[in-house]
Amino acid sequence: MFGWFGKVSFVPYSKVSDFAVHLKGGRLMGSECSDCGFATFPPRADCPECLSGRFTFRESSGRGSIYTYSRIAAAPTGFEDEVPYTVAVVDLEDGGRLLGWIGETIPEDEVEIGMEVQVVPRLFEEIEEIRVTYTIERPGTTWGKAPAFDEG
Amino acid sequence: MPRVGVIGAGHGVFGRRSDATVQELAFEAFRLAIEDAGIERDDIDASVIGAVPEYHKQRSVAGVVQEYLGLTPAPTWLTEVACASGSAAIRTAYMAISSGLHRVVAVIGCQKMTELSTPEILALMGRVGEVQWESVFGTTFPGYYAMFATRHMHEFGTTREQLFEVAIKNHHYGAKNPNALFRKEITMEKAMGSDPVASPLCVYDCCANADGAACLILAAEERAGELGDRVVWLDGVGCATSSMSVLRRPDLVGLPSARAAARTAYEMAGVSAGDVKVADVHDCFTIAEIMAYEDLGFCPKGEGGRFIEDKRSYIGGDVAVNVDGGLKAKGHPIGATGVSMAYEIVTQLRGEAEERQVPGADIGLTHNVGGIGQYTFVHVFRRG
Amino acid sequence: MELGLSGRAAIITGGSLGIGRAIAIELAREGADVAVNYRRHDAAATDVVAEIERIGRNGLCVKADVSSLADAESMVDQVLQAFGRFDILVCNAGITWDGVIWKMSEEQWDRVITVNLKGYFNYNKVAALHFKDQKYGKIVNISSINGMRGKFAQSNYSASKGGEIALTKSLAKELGKFNVNVNAVAPGLVLTDMMEKVPPEFKNAALAETVVGRFATPEDVAHLVAFLCSDRSRHITGEVIKIDGGQYI
Repeated sequence: MFGWFGKVSFVPYSKVSDFAVHLKGGRLMGSECSDCGFATFPPRADCPECLSGRFTFRESSGRGSIYTYSRIAAAPTGFEDEVPYTVAVVDLEDGGRLLGWIGETIPEDEVEIGMEVQVVPRLFEEIEEIRVTYTIERPGTTWGKAPAFDEG
Repeated sequence: MPRVGVIGAGHGVFGRRSDATVQELAFEAFRLAIEDAGIERDDIDASVIGAVPEYHKQRSVAGVVQEYLGLTPAPTWLTEVACASGSAAIRTAYMAISSGLHRVVAVIGCQKMTELSTPEILALMGRVGEVQWESVFGTTFPGYYAMFATRHMHEFGTTREQLFEVAIKNHHYGAKNPNALFRKEITMEKAMGSDPVASPLCVYDCCANADGAACLILAAEERAGELGDRVVWLDGVGCATSSMSVLRRPDLVGLPSARAAARTAYEMAGVSAGDVKVADVHDCFTIAEIMAYEDLGFCPKGEGGRFIEDKRSYIGGDVAVNVDGGLKAKGHPIGATGVSMAYEIVTQLRGEAEERQVPGADIGLTHNVGGIGQYTFVHVFRRG
Repeated sequence: MELGLSGRAAIITGGSLGIGRAIAIELAREGADVAVNYRRHDAAATDVVAEIERIGRNGLCVKADVSSLADAESMVDQVLQAFGRFDILVCNAGITWDGVIWKMSEEQWDRVITVNLKGYFNYNKVAALHFKDQKYGKIVNISSINGMRGKFAQSNYSASKGGEIALTKSLAKELGKFNVNVNAVAPGLVLTDMMEKVPPEFKNAALAETVVGRFATPEDVAHLVAFLCSDRSRHITGEVIKIDGGQYI
């Protein structure tokens, strides 16, 4: 299931595979160590502070600001149809950092270091397979969340 | 710890070497190095190969290279830390000698970058960052340094022109280096017209892939001392790592691993930044050289752009940087680069760099970065 | 079975009479607000709304020819305005206009295909747009066993009903990742007012096809549809369920 994440995936499995399942349902999840409370984004199964392997997912609001960015004109294999695209590093309000694509609500010439943004979970909609990602949009952008998948 | 010295150095021609295999390239540099050292192959106790395996069709390159060089049955192994593999090989040889396990060790940095097809190479380019959270968005090697540049320009006002000044300097010196891939100077006009790669970096900000090899022979103090004043001492050996992922780097306007490695190397060699007369730094992208000036303490943080603009890194300036052309003009055979840097510093400290000689060079430095800054090796050399 | 439709909002096309009416009322009984689209029978449509309100839910009727996409878009807007949400679509509006092919006019063919198949496209499209954004939706397209087999003198009707099944399956594939279920229900003969006018020998022939010896009531169909509109059937999608008393096995 982690293999759902990204335009091209290099990681089919991970101890945090459910990150991709949550993302499909519209939820951006970081992790919290069950033993010492260390919280981070992106999520990780093994606590760097206390070495515990027990963790829970913790939802991030996705609100943050741009730390840096670059518009990529020369694409690696698998991204040829996406080029040019802008990648940005976002400092998240509720902790951690994220790298993602600038989305359609932010015109390319308006991207600025320090601007407030909203990270939005996305599905690649027009392909048959399930692929999930997130984009970096204007604050206030809304999106749908499916009922949590483990509810009856 | 006993001193370790460089007793021989050799450098092959970097370029699109479709005329040779990786072991044949290694032999070119090795032959020159042992002739330079005036030793026989039997004098070599072990070899360390710096090469990055995933670009080669041949699996386990170390064994093939060492056999071709005629060094079997002596021990050999590969060191790999991306673009710093050559320096890792030097560090490993240093460790082997200063531990007393070996007396004379050959270090061969060798790399073919052109054996794979273009799509295979482009696919590898996309996996240079953390594949789990970053490569899925199509980040590329230039893309990362471009993000560092965007931030550096924002925080310090570094300009587009200042970045190109690095390329202009390195091509200026590369034109005088018979082993370099690119032998022509470039102009600011030419650079400004080049195609974008990842904003703000353009083609002229980026080093090119190349095939090539370089070789160093290192020896324990008592063996090195027998060879008179052409020995160059490896007195400072620094290495540090930093977060692989940009998501956990404390700052993106410099390389924390470079600063830490330099601190260690300076302290070990008993020098400070101001003592360094000649340096080869890792200019995979123009911004990388500007950040290197700052990380190595040649100028304060944020002033790297002005440093190059004022020509303080040219011969005759505060410290001559990349006067062999750097990665920019030489090309970047990633496993070989670290050893190529050391070759240049050794040559300079011996006074044998001819038209590119830095006058009075007595302390030199190499700064070799792996990947997007997760590993940096800084070596300080001293004239014998 | 607790279907959990409480608070949901549904659109039923062709909801003023027969099967459509029964579905509308059943969904209201299960707790949903219901809007019915209808073409001609104003009084009947108003009566359905009254019944929905008597049950205690919100009701709405909208007059429109299902072959207009613009009207379909407008109906969704009206439902969002009136109920504040939209979660369920049941496409039921359909017509017949029988004839053997060598006597069937272009108009006979076009009209049946347009109302039946294009009409389902229109409402499935407007629903899909809304459901995929909210990552929730249930679509039930009422087809017919005569879309799964051929029927004499109904090439136009059968083609449209068969087309609705293929449409349903394609949309199930497109919308699955958005948590939207798309299924088809294929009744055999159902006893509605429309069926009263049908000649006895026709009805007897159909009765003889069944294994249970009776016809479906509109409520029989409505029970199945309600199940497919609920989260109880969340793992069923792209499916065609016959409800024909064994008429076509």
